[in-house]
Formats: sequence, C-alpha cells, structure tokens
Amino acid sequence: MPAETLLPALDPMPIPGPPWLFHLLWVVTFAVHVVCVNLVLGSSILGTVASLDRDRVFGRGVARFFAELNTWAISLAITFGIAPLLFLQVLQGRFFYSATVILAPAWLGLLVLLMAAYYLTYAAKYRLRAGKGAALPFGLSALLFLAVTAIQAVVHLLSVQPDRWEAALASPWSALADRAFLPRFLHFVLAGVTLSGIVLAWVAVRRVPAEEARPAASARALFGVKIALLATVLQLVDGLWLTISVPREVLLGLMRGGAATMVPFTLAIGAGFGLLVFLARVRDPIADRTSVRHALELFGLAMVLMLVTRHQLRGLYLAAAGARDTPATTDQWGVFAIFLVAFVLCLVLGIVALVRSARDRPGPGRATA
Amino acid sequence: MDYPMREFAAGGGVLIAVVAILHVVVSHFAVGGGLVMAVLEGAAVKRNDRPLRDLVKRSSTILLLLSTVFGAISGVGIWFTIGVVHPAATSSLIHTFVWAWATEWAFFLLEVVTALAWVATWEKVSPRTHLLLIRLYAFAAFMSLVVIQGILGFMLTPGRFPKTLSVQDGFLNPTYLPGILFRTGVCILLGAAWMAFAALLEPDREARARLSRILASAGALGLGIAGIGWFVWERALPASVQRLFLGEKPLLATLATGRAHTLRMLVAAALLVLLVLLLPKLQSWPVAILALLAGAGILAGYERVREGVRKPFVIAEQMFSNGVLVSEIDSLNEKGVLSKAVWATKEAGGRTVPRGEAVFRAECSSCHTRDGYLGIRRLASAMDADLAEMFLTAMREDGEAWKARAAGKDAKPGYPFMPPFVGTDEELKALALWLASLNAPAVAEGTHAR
Repeated sequence: MPAETLLPALDPMPIPGPPWLFHLLWVVTFAVHVVCVNLVLGSSILGTVASLDRDRVFGRGVARFFAELNTWAISLAITFGIAPLLFLQVLQGRFFYSATVILAPAWLGLLVLLMAAYYLTYAAKYRLRAGKGAALPFGLSALLFLAVTAIQAVVHLLSVQPDRWEAALASPWSALADRAFLPRFLHFVLAGVTLSGIVLAWVAVRRVPAEEARPAASARALFGVKIALLATVLQLVDGLWLTISVPREVLLGLMRGGAATMVPFTLAIGAGFGLLVFLARVRDPIADRTSVRHALELFGLAMVLMLVTRHQLRGLYLAAAGARDTPATTDQWGVFAIFLVAFVLCLVLGIVALVRSARDRPGPGRATA
Repeated sequence: MDYPMREFAAGGGVLIAVVAILHVVVSHFAVGGGLVMAVLEGAAVKRNDRPLRDLVKRSSTILLLLSTVFGAISGVGIWFTIGVVHPAATSSLIHTFVWAWATEWAFFLLEVVTALAWVATWEKVSPRTHLLLIRLYAFAAFMSLVVIQGILGFMLTPGRFPKTLSVQDGFLNPTYLPGILFRTGVCILLGAAWMAFAALLEPDREARARLSRILASAGALGLGIAGIGWFVWERALPASVQRLFLGEKPLLATLATGRAHTLRMLVAAALLVLLVLLLPKLQSWPVAILALLAGAGILAGYERVREGVRKPFVIAEQMFSNGVLVSEIDSLNEKGVLSKAVWATKEAGGRTVPRGEAVFRAECSSCHTRDGYLGIRRLASAMDADLAEMFLTAMREDGEAWKARAAGKDAKPGYPFMPPFVGTDEELKALALWLASLNAPAVAEGTHAR
C-alpha cells in the first residue's frame, strides 16, 4: 500500500500558535537536552573506563566526578527532554506517534532501561563515596544508556520515513536495517564521550590548582583531553559515514538548500576541525587552559550548528516522504504569555537557588542546615 | 484510529492504569512531601529541634530517589503510554493544551533543580538558604499540580469548551478546583505516609513517638482536606454521572464499587492515623506500610472512578475512547470505519487481519482484549451472529443520541458506557460474524442441544 495512504490525517485541532515559534522552542530546548544527554552518555562510558583503571586513586577520583555529575545530568536530561517532545508532537505528532506505536515494546521498554540506568548511577555514586569500586554499576548503566540511545535513534529514523512503517510493523527488527542507524548512533555516542572528556579537563584546570594538587589535576585533564581527541577523530570519520548514509534525495535537498542549509552544515564541520586542532595542541593542560576552554566553546558551537542541520534534515526526510500538508493554526497568546511568565519566573528562581547553594558556605562556628 | 495499532495482552487501558497509578502515588508524594518537609524543616530550624531536622534529612533522600528518578521517568512514561494506546487523543490534548503543559514543565524544571540542590546542600549551606530551597521546591511541585489538574479535569468535564473552544473554559472546568482540593489532601497524606518510614529510623524511642505523632497530625489534615475535596468533586460531576455511582446501570457496577473502595480506603487511612495520633508508640513498619497502602488505595480508587466516569469518551463529548470523533460518526457510517482505520488490517508480525477482526481492532480493542481484561470472547460468549448483529445495530443507532448530546440536547444513548458502532452494513456484519466465531464450538454445541 502506498505510504501516503497509510499516513494518519492531520489532527483536526489547529496548532495553537505560529509554527515558527514551535520550531524555535523545539530546537532551543532540544539543544539543552542534547548537552545533558551527551554528558550522561559520555560520563557513564568514561566513568566505567576510569573505574577499571589500575591506578585506583586516579580512577576512582575520575569515576566519582562522573557519578556526581551524572546524577544531575540525568535529571536535567529527562526534564529538558520533555519540552522538545511536547513541541515535536504539536508539529509532527502523526509521524512520532506512528513510529512509537510500531516500535511500542522497545519504546515503552526504554522507560525501564532508563530507570534502571539512573538507579545504577546512584548505586555507583554511593559506592564511590564509601570508597568502594563501582565498575559494575557504572558499566551496566553505560550499557543501558547506550540501549536507550539506540532506541531513540531508531524511533527517530522510522518516524521520518513513513514508507518503512509497514515493513517495520511486520518485522520490528527491520527498523535497525536503516543505513543511517549505526553512524547516527555512533554520532551521538562519540559526541557524548568528547563532551565529557572536555568537561573533565576543563573542571580540572579552569582555575590554577594549588601546587600539591597540580599533578592530579594535570593527569585528570590530560585523560579528558586525550579521550576527547580520539573521539573527535572518530567523529569526523563517522560524520562522513553518516552523510553518505542519508538517502540520496534528502542529501540532495540539503545541498540544494542554499545558504540556509549549507552554511550551518559547513560551519559545523569547520567547528569540528577547529575542535580537533585545539585538542591536539594541548600538551600541558594547566598551561594551555585557554585551549581547553576554546575546545569546550567549539564543541558547543559545532553541536548547535549540527542541531540546526539535524532539524533541517528532518524536514527534508518528511518532504521526501510526501508529507507536505499545512496544518491550520490558531492563536493562544494569552496562555502563551502565562507560560512565558512562568518559565522566566522558574528560570530566575532556579538560578537564584543554584547560585545561593554554591556561594553560601558558612564560616567556622556558623550553623549549617 | 488512523494510526498504526498495537494490541496489548492485558489491554491498553490496563497498561495506562498501571503506569499512571504508580506515577500518581509517587508524584503526589513529591508534592505533599515537599509541603510537609518545608513546614517541618522550618519548625526544626525555629525550635532547634534536632530529631525533627534529622527526620527531614532522612526523608529528603527518599524524596530525591522517588521524585526525581521514578516520578520523573514514570511521568514521561504516562505520556509514552497514552501516545501508544491513544495517539489521536494525545495529539488532540497536546494541540489544545500545549502551553499549559509547557507551563507545568517550567515548574517541573524548578522542582527538579531545587530538589537536587536541597539534598546536595545538607550541612553545607546556612539553614536559611536550605529553607529557601525546600520552599521553592514545595512551591514548584504544588504549582505543577495546579496546572496539570486543569488538563485532567478537562478530559472529564470540559465545561463550556465544546461550545466556545476557549482554552480558559476548558482549563477552568467544573471539576478543576474540587480536583485540586482532593489531590492536595492526598498529597499531604502521602507525604506524611512516606515520611513515616524515615521516622521509624529515629533511634531514640521517645523522639520516634513524637515524630510519628507529628506526621499523623499532618496525615489527619491531609485526610480532612481530601475528604472535603471528594465530597465537592462528586457534586461537581453531572447528575447523570452521579446516578451511575449508585449503580443505576448494573453493567457499570465497577464504578459504584470504585467509589465504595475509595471511601473504604479513606476510612482505613483515618483509623490508622487515629491509632498513631492516640498511641504513637505503636507506630511500626506494618502500620506505616498499611497507611501508605491506604493512601495509595484512595488515589487508585479516585483515578479508577475518574477513568470510569469518563467512559466512553477519552475527551468528553468530543472523542470516544477508540479515537472516533463525535463529528465523524456520519461519515464513517457512510464510508466505513476501515476507510479511516487503514492500519487495522495490519498486525505486528505481518499477519493480514480478516475484515471482521479488523473492525474489532479499530473500534473495540482500545478497551477490550480478546481473553484478558474485558475479554471479548467471554463477553460475547452468549451471542450468535444474529444476536451480535442486533446488538451492533442498536449500538450504531446510539450514534444519533451521542451527536444530539454533544449538541447540548437531552439525549440518552442505550449503551452509555460504550462508543457507538460506526461503519457500513458490511462491516457490521463482518464484526458480528467474527464475534460469533470466537465461541464457535460452544455456539455449535448450544445449537445442537436445542
């Protein structure tokens, strides 16, 4: 049966605002979500690697850093995942729901995997705080997060290719046969490892450490930089693989999109090469603190630009599938204003809470909570 | 109904119920725990009460591990589940209330950040800063309840929304405030019930009894608010629905039993609270577990009744639980339900589904399984093809009554708890034959005996 006839109809309820607003909010909130997801993935992998290090003091120190970081990153990844999911459903709900129904066992199983991975991270954190090893809980959590990433990647790819739905319903494993699946999955994983490596290095050297702490800080930063360098080299290879794995008509759409599509794509690749240069230059991370910081900034730039390209590719995939209906829109500016006020209020209060938590350190003899 | 379809062995409704009940028990604790902990930490700081402060500190770990992990993921889980079971309804709700949901998300963001900061800063920041964190958390958690109740209430009592299509009318619906009142009471009760476990870890016996009594007082307050909330909520429901509670329709007995169950749980929780208030030294793990189960039972009963009352709609007066819109009854009768439900003939695994079974999948499988919950084989066991056809024809005639009701007229469908049958004569006959075939040997034997 032709894919067009299997495509669910547009929701009769109009979109409650201009589509550009939803696209904007989708990309912005997704960017924050992806930063957190990258940290979660990378930290769980690097935490496992560090837990297996023969130098226990170094390894457990690094593992504990990632365990502490991850309990925050996972919560924020989940929370910041809600908003883009909301906006995605407004704009492209019929594609998203269809893919999740077809892959329902995996999609719903994702929740169990995510919860188990999160509790394992807490188990690793508490074990490391007690001075014990945490390779097993960390390793298991990393495996589960990788599985969650794979499910997300496959659901996304299926959602934008309605012509593959019927086959995927008949045989769900066939969804994994998408040429773009593996490079796309690796793209996420490598980005996660790169970011976590750079964050480890940056936290270790962002301030000049005291003399006695210099060797440990330097070792930690070098570990982060080397891992990030390796992951970035692999990312460039994988990026090429991913590009040629995308369906021809989608790739042609990207190439023919003019400055709107080619500028972000080209700049993202350029930022990737720049990142490689900065990471390769670091010999003494304490002396080259600026390079570490620039590497972090370039990673952020490359990621944002890649997200723009990713968003454009999604549209090109759907255009290639013949989904060109224009949904009706309506205005809900009053309710939108309430959201905006609530969001700004919560953001300000959240920042106040975090700043006060970080700065308020009562001196000796003063009461603490 | 034009989405791909999945049948779940236990039924999609049961799947949603399991995820939803687990989530609401934890999420209500997240709200109530925040409120109770904010008050108790304030009192502990004011009176320099060490055991009370330790109680809150121990409870904070439970709050973090339950709220930010299980609560957050199961909350997303409800969304995932309803999206898989009722994609069209989820889409419709999202289109109507996206900004309300986004507002709830903003409060949830503050809730998560402050919960993490609050738990991480014990013994690190001043009591004042620490109090600020838990108060911000309690505020954010309560506000997320205030927002989400608007959407939950809308699904049950949309108020003037079908006529005005105004989000405000849908949000500020008749059961909005009563629902908030009831849920706030249950939140406080569950907050106290979860904290009771942390109180049992207090090593000093006298202090343990005192803490248990404090928590029992909080529980009593919550129960009182919940009781009033339930009373007002029931009265905010349409009179026709209230009559169903009292068993007007024998087939809706589950609704009446759901209500009775909720009230029984309220009484059980009240007795346990009273026991700990009067004899706090009797507080123990079994009592605490029973109190928690009673609190969870109240909520589960309420959710069961709420879901039951809503039937046969997933969005009252607009969309039936099988995804059929009231507005498309006529067109589906003319063109056939399978003209829209194109996926009903395609099953996971690749089997091509026969027509009658496909009609069942399209129209019935959102509530009925084959052999599990509301199993159709058992329900149709007394039907042969002729009887099934008569039954379905009567259900199709109900479509007129549903349309009239949606237009504001006083019409009573013959089967008020089920969507009307929609589809062509051929589809109706195909479904009747398929229903009869489910119990073919039994029917054959019965015919032979006659």
